[in-house]
Amino acid sequence: MVELLAPAGTREMAFAAIEEGADTIYVGPLGWSRRPYESELTDDEIREVIDFAGIHGKQVRVAVNTYPSPFEEDLFIKKIEQYALWGATGFMLTDIGTMARIRRILPDTIIHVSVGSGITNSRDAQFYRDLGADMIVLPYRWGVTEIAETREITDIGIEVFLFETIQTGKICPGKCIMSSYLKFRDWTEMEGKNYFFGSANRGAKECYRVCQTFWDFTPKNTDTIEVKLRKDACLMLDQIPEYIRQGVTCFKISGRERPTEIIRDLVRFYRRVIDGIMEDTHPDVSDYHPEMEVFQHRWVSEKRKRLGTLMGRADSYAAMGKAASGQ
Amino acid sequence: MYELSTDICNMKELRAADISAYDAIYLGEYACPKYPNNFSSHPEQLQQGVELVKSLDKKCYLRLYAVPDNRDLTWVREIIEEAMRLPFDALEVHNMGLLRVLKEMNCPLPIHLGVFGNLYTHVTAKVLKEYGVERVYPNPELSLKEIVYIEENADIDVLVPVHGKIPLVISETCFIVENSDRKPDDCGFLCSEEYWLKRDDWTLKDLGRMTVSGKDLCMIEHIDELVKMGLGTFFIESSHENVDYIGTVGGIYKEAFTAAFNGERVLDNTAWLEQLGAFARMGLCNGYYFEGAGQKYSGGTSVWSNC
Repeated sequence: MVELLAPAGTREMAFAAIEEGADTIYVGPLGWSRRPYESELTDDEIREVIDFAGIHGKQVRVAVNTYPSPFEEDLFIKKIEQYALWGATGFMLTDIGTMARIRRILPDTIIHVSVGSGITNSRDAQFYRDLGADMIVLPYRWGVTEIAETREITDIGIEVFLFETIQTGKICPGKCIMSSYLKFRDWTEMEGKNYFFGSANRGAKECYRVCQTFWDFTPKNTDTIEVKLRKDACLMLDQIPEYIRQGVTCFKISGRERPTEIIRDLVRFYRRVIDGIMEDTHPDVSDYHPEMEVFQHRWVSEKRKRLGTLMGRADSYAAMGKAASGQ
Repeated sequence: MYELSTDICNMKELRAADISAYDAIYLGEYACPKYPNNFSSHPEQLQQGVELVKSLDKKCYLRLYAVPDNRDLTWVREIIEEAMRLPFDALEVHNMGLLRVLKEMNCPLPIHLGVFGNLYTHVTAKVLKEYGVERVYPNPELSLKEIVYIEENADIDVLVPVHGKIPLVISETCFIVENSDRKPDDCGFLCSEEYWLKRDDWTLKDLGRMTVSGKDLCMIEHIDELVKMGLGTFFIESSHENVDYIGTVGGIYKEAFTAAFNGERVLDNTAWLEQLGAFARMGLCNGYYFEGAGQKYSGGTSVWSNC
């Protein structure tokens, strides 16, 4: 069984993903899942989405992958218990101590180690297995070799983002706080947290994706260049059959912050690709290349729009900050 | 009374720097194994390093490579084996896989969790204690209140950086080499020069495998507060700074802490601030200690308050 995991940044996206054949969708509660408020759901919405998925025989996982403040640890656990009671079948988590507590409280729930945990080697996977985690996310720089090496020493599941892995640049989920060093803003009204501060890692704030905007950089002996700190990731296709052979059991479409239309189309597409491989009716994925090219184009253009929005916000907060301090 | 420590990457810098102000030294640069004669990746350098530090009656810790992949674990293990034969006082570990490896190796040395270990909560600190972790370097995003809470509720020693550039990102590849005509295996030590990333009024310093804050974290105006909060393990980030920085900054903070722990109040710290400011090309900041974005300088009496 290979699971197709799809994003639900809104109720509409959740319904669309389920209708198009996602096995499982994931949602993020307001202030607890590293996204701005418009890509997160209220608790009422989460309950509604869980009920809808249940009727269709599908599952809901809840991304609670912020690093909680030590002060909100108990509240964090309480929220998770509540989602489990409503029928959520698993959680994406990062904080080690929280993960250990959840394992004790909810022995049957599925624990995904969020990509924000920053795994770099197979021994990390073993460490998280010892804690009671069920799945790790394939780190951005890994390929089939690392999957095989990990499966040799632990039975933890491997979840793969449907992006091609990248080897260069600053690609460091779980090892980056650049955004909050530069700027962050409270969303307390939206999220009901008035005691809280920090970066996207900690919830309640957004990551401005400063790694994906242009910076001035002066290499040795040359003129200043404009560079992004990392390359754009491409949607994945060609690697899927081999990853399935290597034992990958979960493929995840990311993009809670994208428009519902593109997520709907991607779920439909990847459902077809994965079923074709699993049922052996269409094992050669190269036939999908023309379709993929169109998706890739759409994806990059949506991503640019999104980045423009985030940087625009960061700049406007910077201007507000200056106005407030009289500069 | 208190411990003041800093980091030194290789023998050359250890010999050149004035480390008299420090009670302890972290040997090694945890981000780049290719840094020349880096203690973190050169087992043959360890003995002379630890002997020099111990001969000055200081504690000596070794920093292990922060982001090892499966292949790196082999050589990191050799470093650990060599360290276990020497009088190190602790190993600094950033990676959970390595924690597990150390447990398997029955390593008797105490472990300090490094800054990229993502320590945000007391419950995590409690789990890590089971792996031999005795000291943690909390994620720089935490406020002083949160740091104190973790120290009290997990009953663990907390390292509090008081000065220097804040580590913001670590990467397994070198950004400077990637934007040059050099190859990763023959990098020519490009990072011996300074590189800055700029976007309007935002500035970051790039070290190649790490990006750090453009501004220098500076807590000299808040020493009394730190002491009153019951904190006692302080650190100065010296990575990729020159040896004058290590000596001068250490000297200033030693004087300040000694006065504070003796209950003396420093009325005028202008001279200190001027000296510290002279090293900080992009200015000073307070990090996240007072619940703001890292690059803010919030509070205090100095001219930096307007930053």
